[in-house]
Amino acid sequence: MKPRWQWVASALGTMCFILSALRPAVMPGTYRITGQAQGTTYAITYYAGQESVTKPQIDSIFKSLDASLSIYQPNSLISRFNASPEGIEMDEHLAYVVGKSMRIYRETGGLSDITVYPLVRAWGFGAKQADAMPDSASINQLLECVGSDKLQVSGRRLSKTNGCVQIDVNGIAQGYSVDVVATFLEAFGIVNYMVEIGGEIRTKGRKLPGNEPMKIGIETPSATEFDAPSIREVISIGDGAVTTSGSYRKFRESGGRRLSHIIDPKTGYPVQREIISATVVAPEAITADGFDNALLAAGVGGAFEILRAHPEMEAYLIYRKADGTVADTASAGFGRYLVMTADR
Amino acid sequence: MTPSPTRRDFIATGLAAIAGAGLSTAFTPAFGRPVRPADKIRLGMIGTGSRGAGLATLIREMPDYELVACCDIIPENLQKGLSLAAPNAKGYTDYRKLLDDQSIDAVVIATPLYLHYPMAVAALQARKHIYLEKSMTYDIPQAIDLVKKVKASGLVFQIGYQYRYYGLYHRVKEIMKENWLGKITHFECQYNRNSNWRFPVKDPKMERAINWRMYREYCGGPLSELCAHEIDVVNYLTDSRPVKVVGLGGINYWKDGRDTYDNIRTVYDYPNGVKASVTSVLSNAYNGYSIRILGDKATVEILRDKALIYPEITNNAKGTVDGVTGATIAVTTQGKGVEVKFGKPGEAELEPTVFALKDFAECVRNKKEPISNVETGRDGSIAIHMGNAAADTEKVQYWKPEYSA
Repeated sequence: MKPRWQWVASALGTMCFILSALRPAVMPGTYRITGQAQGTTYAITYYAGQESVTKPQIDSIFKSLDASLSIYQPNSLISRFNASPEGIEMDEHLAYVVGKSMRIYRETGGLSDITVYPLVRAWGFGAKQADAMPDSASINQLLECVGSDKLQVSGRRLSKTNGCVQIDVNGIAQGYSVDVVATFLEAFGIVNYMVEIGGEIRTKGRKLPGNEPMKIGIETPSATEFDAPSIREVISIGDGAVTTSGSYRKFRESGGRRLSHIIDPKTGYPVQREIISATVVAPEAITADGFDNALLAAGVGGAFEILRAHPEMEAYLIYRKADGTVADTASAGFGRYLVMTADR
Repeated sequence: MTPSPTRRDFIATGLAAIAGAGLSTAFTPAFGRPVRPADKIRLGMIGTGSRGAGLATLIREMPDYELVACCDIIPENLQKGLSLAAPNAKGYTDYRKLLDDQSIDAVVIATPLYLHYPMAVAALQARKHIYLEKSMTYDIPQAIDLVKKVKASGLVFQIGYQYRYYGLYHRVKEIMKENWLGKITHFECQYNRNSNWRFPVKDPKMERAINWRMYREYCGGPLSELCAHEIDVVNYLTDSRPVKVVGLGGINYWKDGRDTYDNIRTVYDYPNGVKASVTSVLSNAYNGYSIRILGDKATVEILRDKALIYPEITNNAKGTVDGVTGATIAVTTQGKGVEVKFGKPGEAELEPTVFALKDFAECVRNKKEPISNVETGRDGSIAIHMGNAAADTEKVQYWKPEYSA
């Protein structure tokens, strides 16, 4: 047994070590900012020593995004492009989103196409509800205005080869917004956060002080738009983004059939594929969000074909089988994100 | 139509006369005068008071009908009716004379409740198709008897419960079937207004004729004249009829000589324990007409021309995760309903009664049974009488097997 003074000294030494280790870092806190933007809700959670980002800052980001990308604002840059016979000068937001969209357009063989807007409007999913379902003649006419090859980008100039071309970046803007907010947080030195806008998510780091990974539930498509979401799988993606596209929440009914809000730019008709929900994990939310609609439109086989060309993405698909039952499938690498039931 | 003090005797005599003529009518063909699809249906309107004139206004715009005759015992009402009818329409003060007109295919009966049964019976005997305003009959025996008579006649017989024809209610029934509301346990129906519910009377002798809704001799008060629609709606939405009912009523606010209730609250028990409260209060008009359907997942509130859904706030699995990825959820403010969409895109918004009258024309032309027919009408009327009886006797009233045998 050690003499008593030795024991006291070592105890004191240990205490000093603990105290000195704690002094420089303040106990990290959890900061949460929630609100409404882009017609949906958002929630930002970050873990940091102090509150360095606040709601007014976030809301001003949304304002600048809306002024550029919102088809619901008649004076936004995108609305001005749609109204213009030739084209406009883009700001940074629109230039980035259009550039990325054009790339995804090429990489999905035209399945993801921002010029589909005239068709989206005709089918009643635009800023205004349509009065009636379009007929085949009017769809053929509108197809003249559809196709990203009718867009030309030179520097900041975005022009159209046909005056009737209109664009809608709703399928990708939310993902982009998530990235913009995430970048903003990182500029303030925040490295542990989750940004979520309307179900599109980006995470980085861990939950402090417990150092736990952030868990994300993948929603089960529910029968009605009022059902509370139930969770089908739980994933943890580390540093990255996850988005989900589903035809289950936004649809119109016609003759007893549900019409998806995702319109096939080639046929002009709502997509009638077996996939009801596509969840995509990618390093950035704009990539995940930009591809999720295309996977939905591609069908299970087509979706895996696209994924093979993009090793940076993993996907989880919920689909309806021929016999009407619901099943799921995922790309090979998706499994590493799954949190086992026991750890949930 | 107007009951004079001797009106009921007069009708009894009239019925006796018709019964005497029964032998000759018994040999007419099973169906009324056949209406060719392209022909306009020649219509007679019995009762052109406020409701009758309202119907005539709608009918005037409909290509299906030609309103060729009107009948009312109040001269102003008759004049009003004729002004809305075809140019050469005939006016009657005796409905039996109108029924004698062989060229008339169908009649609309929009008279005080106590006249519904005798007039409907006379119209059946005259081989007319009938659109009879709600509620169907003054009492339970009349309801049961009318079912037999209509079935024996082979004629089209529709009750003026127009909400059965209104897209709003079709949609509500559909979302109930699709389980949007979860398990439905209660209906809360109210038909309130803040008024004495009277029409102006110039000649005091006409008080009972004009304000027949105030008197038990002529109708069942708020339950038969207002809540009838809601009772029929609950029957329609649940595809059933009440098993029993309790109720309380009174004349506690409008103490003006009326003998029908100025407030009544009933609770109907439907199969599987589903309860429907049916209320009418004549001294408060907040959300005057409303039906709330309570499910364990959501509430639907039906108002005059729209319905709102209020989802239940349930604890979901979100507690165990930090975020949820899913298709974008549109913002809905808590406590604020989401409007139920109904109707086809571009479809004109019409008065529900127009849909009911269109279907009546369709049934007359193609010999079909209306959706609001003599049996659903009977179920409504019996439920109304049970509700009033429950309040009158302060005793539970039960649906007896012989009501629907």
